[in-house]
Amino acid sequence: MGGEVGFEIHQNAYIKLVLHALKHRTSAVNAVLLGRSAGAGSAVEIVESVPLCHSQIGLLPPLEIALIMIEEYYGEKGLSLVGYFHANERCDDFELASVAKNIGDHITRYFPQAALLLLDNKKLESLPKGKDRSPVMQLYIKDASSSWKLVGSDGSNQLAIKEPSANIVLLDCISSKKWQEIIDFDDHLDDISKDWLNSELFK
Amino acid sequence: MVSKTEEEQVNRLENQVENGGGGAWEYLCLVRKLKLRRADKVLKYGFSVLNDPSKRSALGPEEWTLYEQVAIAAMDCQRLDLAKEFIKVLQRKFPESKRVGRLEAMLLEAKGLWAEAEKAHSSLLEDNQFDQVIHKRRVAMAKAQGNLAVAIEWLNKYLEIFMADHDAWRELAEIYVSLQMYKQAAFCYEELILSQPTVPLYHLAYADVLYTLGGLENLHASKKYYAATIDLTGGKNIRALFGICLCTAAIGQLTKGRNKEDKESLELQSLSALALEKAYKQRSPAKLSLLSSTLRSLKVSL
Repeated sequence: MGGEVGFEIHQNAYIKLVLHALKHRTSAVNAVLLGRSAGAGSAVEIVESVPLCHSQIGLLPPLEIALIMIEEYYGEKGLSLVGYFHANERCDDFELASVAKNIGDHITRYFPQAALLLLDNKKLESLPKGKDRSPVMQLYIKDASSSWKLVGSDGSNQLAIKEPSANIVLLDCISSKKWQEIIDFDDHLDDISKDWLNSELFK
Repeated sequence: MVSKTEEEQVNRLENQVENGGGGAWEYLCLVRKLKLRRADKVLKYGFSVLNDPSKRSALGPEEWTLYEQVAIAAMDCQRLDLAKEFIKVLQRKFPESKRVGRLEAMLLEAKGLWAEAEKAHSSLLEDNQFDQVIHKRRVAMAKAQGNLAVAIEWLNKYLEIFMADHDAWRELAEIYVSLQMYKQAAFCYEELILSQPTVPLYHLAYADVLYTLGGLENLHASKKYYAATIDLTGGKNIRALFGICLCTAAIGQLTKGRNKEDKESLELQSLSALALEKAYKQRSPAKLSLLSSTLRSLKVSL
């Protein structure tokens, strides 16, 4: 294959993922990533993200409804499912849950270069102290043997944030408690007047 | 587990207190009654009440309950210094108290001193082996250390004795779902439905698990439980309405027209779809077209 197949995530998509995890600190959360790619071997652009659930993540019905609606909505905008985000329940848990792998597998059936992102709580915790510009998540991609492998901080296939000051904006959102406003698909199913697109979040 | 009205009530009170409109004590009581986990707010408001001598004395004997509530909230927010202070106050007032002993053990947990916490719990259990709270704290400790297999084992043992503890059954079901052990989760929800058949949430969760398990028999059963949920909630539960559509679509896929058309099930599906459209038209009109195309892709005939 050769070449660097990197992943570039847009700031708003990135921040939404972290805010969602912060809103539901006592449970695991997940989200899907939407974007585009010029083809196999070229970089994947993660343009948007939709937070999904914060309870009983292993159940299919909410996931299936969400995926149909999300693919329909973003398909019209030329974006498709390019990955999945997961944050574990416990802050010191760096294991990729089997649920995450299963959903990731499902997405790779339609998009083989799919990215699986896992929230890195340690990095998130130390964010206010340093000037780290790298995303507070670990990137997993499927290797030749079809298992999910953690991408190291060296080599190709890196995850980068498009806007270099994204972490500063994220810290700002955290201190202003913006995570209280984020809405996921679970919230929408409980109250359909809630907008899972979060279109008002960054206005 | 709270109803929508209860949640709205709590949120309203929270906003009121946050904006200086008073009502902190009502808020704290409500949170305690509904067993909600809102540690940061409880700590903030509770601390301000306890620091104000006039407010504190106005509480009378309830002052000690507040100390307990705020101590736990402090531990949840990792403000162990504050938690220690509050527990000291309670220790002075109630020396030799088992209830305070539980708080002390919880503080060890919060510090991550698992071995010491375990010792504290064991000694408390020696005096009273039927202390439900301590048993559940041991399960919580196992879960916090990532030892889900142990948590499951202990929770099962606990439920053999205290089989009427609905919260414990729910916790066990949720642990099973997180580990994708759906059959075992189904068993938990069956127990819950047997003991509380009028709680729609259990029917809904059971239906979700059955759908996830898959297979024709489970899908038919799942549809029945979604229907029960709709019945119990007066047709207002969006998840159940979607569930019916999902089940019918999945059953249709599996049988691929081999069975004769079940008029009743098609009617049920189109009724659910109509109910969904009505709900979206009323409360989420911007997403109505998205809903319609979703229903179309589930091959729902209206």
